[in-house]
Amino acid sequence: MSEIKGKVLKHSEQTRTMHWIHLICFIILGLTGIGFYFDITSIDNLFGGSANASNVHVWTGVVFTLGPLIYVLFNFEKFAKFIDTITTFTKDDFGWLKTMGGYVPFIKAEHIPPQDKYNAGQKILGLLVIIGCILMIVTGFPMWLLRDTMPAILVWLCWKVHFWTAVILILAILGHFFLAAIHPKSRVEFASMMIDGYVDAEYTSHHNAKWFAQLKKAE
Amino acid sequence: MSTVVTKEIIHVTDRCKSCDHCTSVCPTGAIKGRLGEKHYIDHKKCVNCGQCLINCPFGAIVDMSMAEQVKKALADPSKVVVVQTAPAVRVALGEEFGLEPGANVKGKMFAALRRLGFDKVYDTEFAADLTIMEEGTELIHRIFAHVGVPGYEKSGPLPQFTSCCPAWIKYAEDRYPKILPHISSAKSPQQMFGAVAKTYAAQKLNVNPADMYVVSIMPCTAKKYECQREEMIASGFQDVDAVLTTRELAQMIKDAGINFLSLPDEKADRLIGSSTGAATIFGVTGGVMEAALRTAYEILSGQSLGNVEFKTVRGRKPIREATVNIPIKELGKTVPVNVCIVSGLKYVNEVIEDVLAGRSKYHFIEVMNCPGGCINGGGQPIRRDTY
Repeated sequence: MSEIKGKVLKHSEQTRTMHWIHLICFIILGLTGIGFYFDITSIDNLFGGSANASNVHVWTGVVFTLGPLIYVLFNFEKFAKFIDTITTFTKDDFGWLKTMGGYVPFIKAEHIPPQDKYNAGQKILGLLVIIGCILMIVTGFPMWLLRDTMPAILVWLCWKVHFWTAVILILAILGHFFLAAIHPKSRVEFASMMIDGYVDAEYTSHHNAKWFAQLKKAE
Repeated sequence: MSTVVTKEIIHVTDRCKSCDHCTSVCPTGAIKGRLGEKHYIDHKKCVNCGQCLINCPFGAIVDMSMAEQVKKALADPSKVVVVQTAPAVRVALGEEFGLEPGANVKGKMFAALRRLGFDKVYDTEFAADLTIMEEGTELIHRIFAHVGVPGYEKSGPLPQFTSCCPAWIKYAEDRYPKILPHISSAKSPQQMFGAVAKTYAAQKLNVNPADMYVVSIMPCTAKKYECQREEMIASGFQDVDAVLTTRELAQMIKDAGINFLSLPDEKADRLIGSSTGAATIFGVTGGVMEAALRTAYEILSGQSLGNVEFKTVRGRKPIREATVNIPIKELGKTVPVNVCIVSGLKYVNEVIEDVLAGRSKYHFIEVMNCPGGCINGGGQPIRRDTY
């Protein structure tokens, strides 16, 4: 289960590297995108002015696209398993959603159903991020590379989809950051993804009981 | 009343999203700014065609409006306000009121103009006929000079370029001043109408030209620049005082609360008799060429044309060429006249370079800035659902 006693390896080195790359890209893309869209000079100036900020934006977009692609190429089985997990919703997942995993103060949560490696909320976030990133990529590259040849209506459509997807993604990632890094019930997950990949076995037995049971069984 | 507002017609507003789409549409490279940068227009290079305006995905580019000046003139009882309407307007105005593109609303448009308070409502087609007679005759003189008919030695060189499109004229002046002797000296229909209105019509209507205010309804934003050119004062006054685009006319009709679709069909006032079908086709690419060929053919050959349609000059390709064999009565032989139609300034450079280098095989060249001709001008309704 783990090379460290009382710990469970949740995220491999490659997964963590990909997550770091995506996180850094996301921050740069978010900042330059906001500066770009709302014409905020102070943000643009952080990147050397508006034209340079847009250069940074598009080339960071390339890394944002290639990073996960390379990761998936070298970790296809792991990625397939991840997709399988986040697209599988059982009654336990719906039960978790009913109680919101006990994270929301005014929703009673006497019994929280056991969860997979990712709880129902994380599954939804995973789907949101994957779909969102695909939308950002399929609208972003045409706006950059096909802006001269695309009909104006498509340029407009790409901008609108790109903007609203970015809004949803930024809100989702802010929520993800709050739960993974700040919320007292789950902030132990932060070090797992951002530092060493490990998470407490005891924590996992509560929060990801189904996955923990699988690990035990495999052991 | 001075109507000169500014010659800087097209402006990028702060609604610009820096998407950089407009730079690919601009035929002269007048729009500055890279992707991510607010764009702006270099007015020295801009030909005021408005193609960037109608193609901006965010409606962030606008044209300078003369609508307020027109409203003031309409409200001034000492002014006789005369309006002319270009051929391409009548088949586009209906779009602003929910009709299909191409619906001819000529009758309702004349009715609406009268209800807006215009004293006389004329059709530019009559002036387009004047232009084509002038341009066609000039072509004949140049051909005579070219083939050595005595008495025409001082005519301009061949090939002759058309002169109706104000965006093309500004482009030639800015980029290729050496080509100017090749451009027809005929004014555009708008300006011919203005001059005739403030001279012949003023006399006929018994109006002091100083009290006459001439408005054009045009599919074109560059016409706003053209009407302000210093030399366009043949009548002793500014020949055309203000230009409204098709979009601006529609807005005025809406603002006035006129139910456009329920208007009866009315006829234009008559300045001089009727106009011909040659004038009607001015609004599409190849139209001026076809109209000029009809005139040139009849005068040069001394024969009446059985079939007036020169279909070889029609089409949608940006550069088209054709050869029309014209029997010249005075020479007793048939001369092949090579013609070329350029639709879009982006494609004209090579044609001009050939003329300047003496390599051109053409005798007559039509140049229109907007793709497809005036029908797709920068002043036409913007179809955001289909463009």
